Amino acid sequence: MKIDITEHNGAKVFSLSGDIDLYSSPVLRKELIFFIGKKVPLLLVDFRDVSYIDSSGIATLVEGLRGMMSHGGKLKLFGIPERIVEIFAFSKLDKVFDICGSLDDAVED
Amino acid sequence: MGEKPTVEISGEVLKGMKKKVEDLKTLMDLSYVISSTLDFSELISIVMEKAKAVMEAGACSILIYNKDTNKLEFEVALCEEGSTSALLKKQVTLEMGQGIAGWVARNLKPLVIPDVGSDKRFYGDADKLTGFTTKSIIAVPLIGRGGLIGVAEVINPKKDYDMEMFQLLCRQFAIAIENSLFHKESIERERMKQELDIASAIQKSFLPASPVFIKDNLMISAKNISAAKVGGDIYDFVELAEGGVGVLIGDVSGKGVSAAIYMAKVSSDFKYIARLTDSPSKALDRLNISLAGSPRGMFLTGIYMIVDTATGHFDVSVAGHPPFLWLSDGAVRVMSLPAGPPVGIVPSEYPVASFRLDRSDRLLLLTDGVFDVKSRDGQRLGFDAVVSFVKGHMHEEDLIERLVDFADDFSGGGDRADDLTIVELRWGA
Repeated sequence: MKIDITEHNGAKVFSLSGDIDLYSSPVLRKELIFFIGKKVPLLLVDFRDVSYIDSSGIATLVEGLRGMMSHGGKLKLFGIPERIVEIFAFSKLDKVFDICGSLDDAVED
Repeated sequence: MGEKPTVEISGEVLKGMKKKVEDLKTLMDLSYVISSTLDFSELISIVMEKAKAVMEAGACSILIYNKDTNKLEFEVALCEEGSTSALLKKQVTLEMGQGIAGWVARNLKPLVIPDVGSDKRFYGDADKLTGFTTKSIIAVPLIGRGGLIGVAEVINPKKDYDMEMFQLLCRQFAIAIENSLFHKESIERERMKQELDIASAIQKSFLPASPVFIKDNLMISAKNISAAKVGGDIYDFVELAEGGVGVLIGDVSGKGVSAAIYMAKVSSDFKYIARLTDSPSKALDRLNISLAGSPRGMFLTGIYMIVDTATGHFDVSVAGHPPFLWLSDGAVRVMSLPAGPPVGIVPSEYPVASFRLDRSDRLLLLTDGVFDVKSRDGQRLGFDAVVSFVKGHMHEEDLIERLVDFADDFSGGGDRADDLTIVELRWGA
């Protein structure tokens, strides 16, 4: 997994690529915790280049979501690719996360 | 008889030869002593004593390279004042490139500094802590088969020290230290393995004692294989007061010991909650409350169904879990029902659906370890492929075993990355 962190209209954008699993999610967790500590208001996670996410990866995002909510911030996901839509559908993650189609949708909401 | 030939040797040459013999003896003594122990602390003390004696130095220290932090850490420092070692070991670490030792570690070259006062690289904090005065220093990298191990420093050596001899000693030190580090790691690995074995045994005790359960017309059988000895999959059968049987399949996020401990909590909470209600929806709701705010975002996906063993009627609720398969009348139906999110994340409701089993019907409940399995070339099996396989083998008696073999064959015999659980319910077979 690779993480590119950029800024877009005041929001932090985490662009993830590759597999987010047991082995790679600690890196994501470290970055999330860093920005939660800075109380950023909006954190967007770009899924367009994610090839796979397992339950450890989802748990890391759940932890990130809770952390953001604790200071009134928001965490949103966008660009979920077709290849991992099934994982999101089975897990009913749309009931947990704010999932948007594109970066612009995520910023506008 | 002729006179024996005489060879004249100058005092200088004789002195040199004696020195070589002494050096050789020291090296032999040293290799004997350092090969006598694999205990890291003991070895380091021996090495330091020898280095200090050979170089007739005021003090000696060894810094070990920590690969995880990319820093040098004082392992031992030896001088006339006995407390020095503990002081440095607790308080001083060096970045790569910092101080004399940091420079040696980064450049993998020895360094001789006759007067530290005139060398900007000298880092004086260790002296401030110990009260020792460093005047001159020799630092040599300790390089083993796997790269940098650390740096040996000799402080204030006598004037006519033998650098070649010291480097030879350091080569021996490096090998011995590396061997003892390997030994330390292998003991640690063995300890971890034993801990995992115990954790695995404890975890298995949370699953039903027998993977087969029969009551009236209902027969349940289960297969559970853990990825990393201890895993996060769970299944359970509970006989309820009203006469029904509760059947749970679940998958805790993550793997390994943390998932196993969480699974143990899920299991004990479930066993308690299941006996309080005959509604799978209420049971998942209560489990969701009891697991709310789980550490590290951990959660459980699951299917809970309560089957009336007299009539075949069953109620089912789903929490973010893959659909179950219903094998009936020559067809396989993918039961993708309205569901709530995984348990333990957010407050939610879990819808309930009701069905009735017919004679010879089979239900297959599975975890993602069955279809998320990865082939050697990185492809994932996928849920649809599992459904197709089940369609082609739905009349086989040993369908569970065949499905496990199918997933294993797909992975090409590689290590299992995720836990795999299949629970089969048969009606009136």
